[in-house]
Amino acid sequence: MSRTLIVWAALAALVVALLLMPVFFTGYVVYIANVTLVYIVLALGLHILTGEAGQFALSHAASYGIGIYTAAIVNKSALGIFPLPILAGGLVAGALGLFVGLVALRMRDIYLALATFAFGEAMQWVFLDWSSVTGGANGTQIAPTAIFRYQILNDKQAYPVVLALTAILIVATLALSRSRTGSALRAVRESEVAAMAVGVNVRRIKLTAFVLSGVYAGLAGGIFTLFSTYIGPESLGFQTTIFVLTMIVVGGLGSVLGAICGAVIMSLGSEMLRNALSYQEIIYGVLLMGFMMYASGGVIEPLRRVWRRTGETANV
Amino acid sequence: MDFDTALIFLEQGVASGIVTGSVYALLAISIVAIFRTTAVANFAVGEIFMAGAYCALYLLVFVKVSPWIAIPATVVVVFGGSALFQAGVLRAVRRSGGPINLVIATLGLSYLLKGVVRQTGFGETPRSFPSLVPNHSLTIGSAFLTWLDLAILTAAMLIMVGFFLMFNYTRLGRAMRALGMNQRAAQLVGVDIGRMNTLIWGLSGALSAAAALLIAPKLLLTADMGTVGTMGFAAAIIGGFSSFPGAVIGGFVIGIAENLVGLFIAAHAIAVTPFVMIILVLVLRPQGIFGGAQEIKKV
Repeated sequence: MSRTLIVWAALAALVVALLLMPVFFTGYVVYIANVTLVYIVLALGLHILTGEAGQFALSHAASYGIGIYTAAIVNKSALGIFPLPILAGGLVAGALGLFVGLVALRMRDIYLALATFAFGEAMQWVFLDWSSVTGGANGTQIAPTAIFRYQILNDKQAYPVVLALTAILIVATLALSRSRTGSALRAVRESEVAAMAVGVNVRRIKLTAFVLSGVYAGLAGGIFTLFSTYIGPESLGFQTTIFVLTMIVVGGLGSVLGAICGAVIMSLGSEMLRNALSYQEIIYGVLLMGFMMYASGGVIEPLRRVWRRTGETANV
Repeated sequence: MDFDTALIFLEQGVASGIVTGSVYALLAISIVAIFRTTAVANFAVGEIFMAGAYCALYLLVFVKVSPWIAIPATVVVVFGGSALFQAGVLRAVRRSGGPINLVIATLGLSYLLKGVVRQTGFGETPRSFPSLVPNHSLTIGSAFLTWLDLAILTAAMLIMVGFFLMFNYTRLGRAMRALGMNQRAAQLVGVDIGRMNTLIWGLSGALSAAAALLIAPKLLLTADMGTVGTMGFAAAIIGGFSSFPGAVIGGFVIGIAENLVGLFIAAHAIAVTPFVMIILVLVLRPQGIFGGAQEIKKV
C-alpha cells in the first residue's frame, strides 16, 4: 500500500470516529472535545501569525475574548441566527487585528511582544471594567444559539457544528499554507529584507497575518458560545495567550499539523490537571523550556522525519 | 476637589511614587542589564523577584535566622538560580533558536517558579513580611512617609549607583559593555562570553532579589506577585530599553503616574496605567523617551 493511501485511510477512520464519538461518551467528554476543538482554532490563528509570519504577538486571548463577547451580544439581538453571531465575532476580532497590525508594523521582536502583551492586558481590563457590556467581573450569560427553528441546548447538540466549523478552518489553514500568500508569510518570517527583494509586499503580508489571526481567534470565540453558557474576564488574560503559545511550541512552530497536535495534547493535559494549578504551571514551564532547549521543532519533528524516510523508500 | 487639597494629593502622590518607583527602577535595571548585554528580554523578572521574596520569607520566618544572614543568603540564592538558568537553559536554547525562542524559555521559567512556589504551600495564603525598619511616619512638606519608605529609597539608590559605577568604570563593566556592542568582537579581545552571560544573569537576578527584599515589607506576598515585573518593563520601555539612567527615570515616572492615577482618576484605573503607558511609548516613540535613534542592522 502506498503511504498516501494509508494516510487517507487513517484520516477517514479518524473522521468517522470523531463523528460517532457523542454516541458512546457522556456529555462531559463531549464538552472536553468541544473545548479542544476551540483550542485547535485558536492555535491555528496564532500559528498563522507566529508560526508562519514570525510575528511574536501576545494578545491572542484579547481577540478571543472580543469574539466571545461579540457573538454573545449578537446572539441576544434579532440577528441571533446561526452563523451570524460567530461571523460577527470573527469580523470584529479581525478588525481589531487590523488595528493591532497597523500599529505593529513599526515594531519587531521584543517590542512587538511587549506592546501586544500590554494591549492584551489592557483589553482584559476593559472586559473587567466595561460592565454595562461585558457584565464586569461577574461575566455574562450566553444565550443558546438558534439554527433556524432549532436551538442548541447542550454539548452533544453543539458538537457536530463545532466539529464541522473546526474542520473547515483546518482545511482553510492548510490551503493558506500551500498558497502563494503562505510562501510570502514564511518569506517575511525568514527575512523581511529578502522578502522585499523578491517582491513581497511586506506591509500587506504582515497586516494579512494580523487580520487572519484575529479572525481565527474571533471565530474560536464564536464557536465557544455555541456550547458554553457563561464567559467571564478571568479566562481571557495573558495565561490563555501563553496556553495557546505553548500549544504551537509543543506541536512545532510553523507547522499546521503541529499546531493541531499541540492543541490536543495541551488541552487534554490541562483538563487532567484541572484541580492542580501548581502542577499545571510547573509542567507548562518545563515544557516551554524543554522544547526550546532540546526540540524547537516540537513533537511534529520526529513524525516529519519518518514521513521523509518512508517517502525515500517509496521512491526506490 | 479644591486647589489646596489637590496640591496635598499631588505632593503625597509624588512622594509615595518616588518610593515605589525606586523599586520599579531596580527591576527595570535588572531587565535592561540583560537586554543590553545579551539581547534577551527576561519575561521572568517578576517571578525571580517573587522567588526572592519567598526565599527571604522562608529564611526569616520559618528557619528564623537573623536578617544579617537571611538578606545576603537570599541575594546569593537568587544570583545562583538566575546564573544557573542562563548556563543551564538559555545556553542550550541559543544554540538552535533566535530571540523568540529565548523569550519563550524565560516565559517557561516564570511559570515554573510560580508553580513551584504554589506547590510548596507558602503561596497558598497571602503572607506579610516582617519589617526590619521601624514603621514610624514622618512628614516631608505635607506628604506622609514612613522610615521604611526612606530606607527603601536610600537603599535602592545606593544599589543603582553601585551598579552604574560597576558597569561604566570597572574592567568587568567594560567587558559587559563590549558584549552588548558586538559579541564576536568582544570574544576576539578575550571576553569569555559564556562566563560573562552567566555573571550578568546572576547580577540581574541579584538586583531583582534586592528589589524584592526592599519592597516586601510593604506588600502581601502571593505566588502571583510577579505581575510587578510589568512595572519594571514599563519603566524600562519609557527609558528606551537600553539606558540605565533612562530605566531609573522610567521607574520614577511609572511609580508617580500610578499614584497620581489612583488619587486623581480612579483606584480601579491603576491596574491599567502601566499597560497604557507601554502602548503609548511604543507607538509614539518605539526607541523610548531616552533612547537614541533607532539602529538599522545590515543584512
